[in-house]
Amino acid sequence: MARWIRFVVTALAFAAVDCASGSAPAVLTFSGSVVGREGDVIRRQLDRFQREHPSIRVAVRATPDAADQRHQLYVHWLNARASEPDILQLDVVWTPEFAAAGWIANLDRFHPPLEAFLAPAVAAARWNRSVYALPWFVDVGMLYWRTDLVPHAPRDLGELTSLARGRDDRGVPFGFVWQGARYEGLVTVFLEYLGAFGGRVLDDRGAVAVDSEPAQRALAAMFDAIYVDGVVPPSVLTWQEEQTRFAFQNGQAVFMRNWPYAYGLLEEPASTVAGRFAVAPMPAAPGGAPTATLGGSALAINAHSDQPDDAYALVDYLLQPEQMIERARIAGEFPTRPALYSTRELAAAISMPLADALAIIERATPRPITPVYSQLSEILQVSLHRALTRQQPPRDALREAAVAMRALLAAARLGPPA
Amino acid sequence: MTAASPPPVAPPSWRRREARLAWALVLPALGIIAAVAVFPIGWTVWESLHLHDLRMPWLGRPYVGLANYAAAMGDRRFWSAVGHTGVFAALSVSIELTLGLVLALGLDRVRRAAGLVRTAVLLPWALPTVVVALVWRFIFESPAGLATALAARAGVTAPTWFADAVAAWVPIVLADVWKTTPFVALLLLAGLQAIDPALSEAAAVDGAGPWRRFTGVTWPLLRPALLVAFLFRTLDALRVFDVVYVMTGGGPGTATEPIALYTFGTLLQNLRFGFGAALSVIVFVTAFGLALAAIRVLGSDAFLERRP
Repeated sequence: MARWIRFVVTALAFAAVDCASGSAPAVLTFSGSVVGREGDVIRRQLDRFQREHPSIRVAVRATPDAADQRHQLYVHWLNARASEPDILQLDVVWTPEFAAAGWIANLDRFHPPLEAFLAPAVAAARWNRSVYALPWFVDVGMLYWRTDLVPHAPRDLGELTSLARGRDDRGVPFGFVWQGARYEGLVTVFLEYLGAFGGRVLDDRGAVAVDSEPAQRALAAMFDAIYVDGVVPPSVLTWQEEQTRFAFQNGQAVFMRNWPYAYGLLEEPASTVAGRFAVAPMPAAPGGAPTATLGGSALAINAHSDQPDDAYALVDYLLQPEQMIERARIAGEFPTRPALYSTRELAAAISMPLADALAIIERATPRPITPVYSQLSEILQVSLHRALTRQQPPRDALREAAVAMRALLAAARLGPPA
Repeated sequence: MTAASPPPVAPPSWRRREARLAWALVLPALGIIAAVAVFPIGWTVWESLHLHDLRMPWLGRPYVGLANYAAAMGDRRFWSAVGHTGVFAALSVSIELTLGLVLALGLDRVRRAAGLVRTAVLLPWALPTVVVALVWRFIFESPAGLATALAARAGVTAPTWFADAVAAWVPIVLADVWKTTPFVALLLLAGLQAIDPALSEAAAVDGAGPWRRFTGVTWPLLRPALLVAFLFRTLDALRVFDVVYVMTGGGPGTATEPIALYTFGTLLQNLRFGFGAALSVIVFVTAFGLALAAIRVLGSDAFLERRP
């Protein structure tokens, strides 16, 4: 808070000086994650931007780091047609929602260099064939595996199960741990299983396909991993990212599904598994492909901003390779430019081997691209959790989810033409 | 007033002046009530008659009549939330009344350091519910929680508490009982101490044993206090939110989701203002009806019985 105040005061002081010298500077407002290491990076980069653009001042508007709360705050601001903040850090899944609502600006007129960015991340930033946000950093789901317990990363889901089964003679209590509590994380894990079996939530026309045969097999595989094969402990059904990381870090699990953030923490000296693990894409089953659920953030411009051109200048600046590498080095967040994954600068900036990182990022798959993603996700969360906690057979749960999703899309008037 | 004065045709002017003054004096209070209670309730009702979804602003905000209420009536999640609320209220209130009565009877016999003992008993009630719920959640967390460890030591395999639709109720009800039983006990203790000990002594002289004295003297005289405790606890339990929000978030699936949590999620997380407002109105009308019934019961029976 004190920092924030100091920042605003500095910005105002600069503004006052500039006013005195005759040129009224534009003040841009940036809002996003501004605490911890992310805060350090953004402040450095905004300072540099201001030195390079003396006519523009940037003020930071802090928002909560919890996704739900930030979303809620954005909705209240944008729904009231506030002209600030000018630039918004959006979770990848919010872009279609905000675009459909008319809250963020169509960026087509700036002709952003879309081909330079990761294709699935760009796809997630599009709505009605226009681009409304630019990918800032990516997060991808991946498989962590113990190099001292298994000889190689599993080539498919079946092999993962058999490798995880062989743990008993080594005194490792859990075979495989993932995020199974009823929250967004469960959906991201499900989407990886779903891709592994070749299924989709929405098909190319936007019709609901979550009750399809591959989807049934995917949920059955998650169910069987817990209750039939016994490789996944039932307690994961109450676990989020950190609980799975604790289990893996304490040497209690052979495999873990998690995001890149865990890599650096597992490498720390206090970690039991430091130097004894590696990462790979989540394995596929016959008929599907290895899938990494795409997370991360994009930068968008408020549709009611008074200075969209200056705002775009800042967005463009933050997306430059140097800024992305600095962000990777300080905050551990992965760049959205595939070209950077062959540079020595990025190799020096992140602890994960670049080849591994690239192999996983190439598998990045966006979550369903629809303005009502949050509502679809909530339907899925409840149905998946009901099935996995044995309140409902997986088949019925998915069928019920599909019915609810079709009703939602119809109510939202977003369904495919009948 | 004297008998000689003629019956007034119209109220004397001083009386009208008084009446005007009275209205002027209560006006600020009425204004505040209107601003903080009547206006928001009216607005919620108005909102509930519209389609208003902050996450789908492209749909506008059309008037839809009672469609939101119809949707609630046909919503399985709503009805199961109603069911969960009822089950929770029935379970927790009956356990709390039973344990509270036992505790109160015990406390009533404590003679030495009575104040200290009562304060100690009341401690759980003094803790914020969220803290209580967090502590109980840690105890039942799987697989590292204390409850699971104790069960294992006893040779029993504990369920994964919060991933089991039935077992998840155990920590929830337990936390509520642990926190609220002392409050019930204190209410009942007050009732017990209002009973004239001479009645019990007289019964003893007539040869009544302890059980007979309890059923014949204590129980009937304690009934008003029991009724008060029952109504307070029931109205509270029907509004249950924080214990469940902290412990299970309504899960697994929606197996422990009470109506207050469903309404909260609809309104404040999913930002479905129209439908959420309809849910709120339904809950409000139900709670209001129950409260009215409670006031009626308390206002007549309970206090009449106490008269000699």
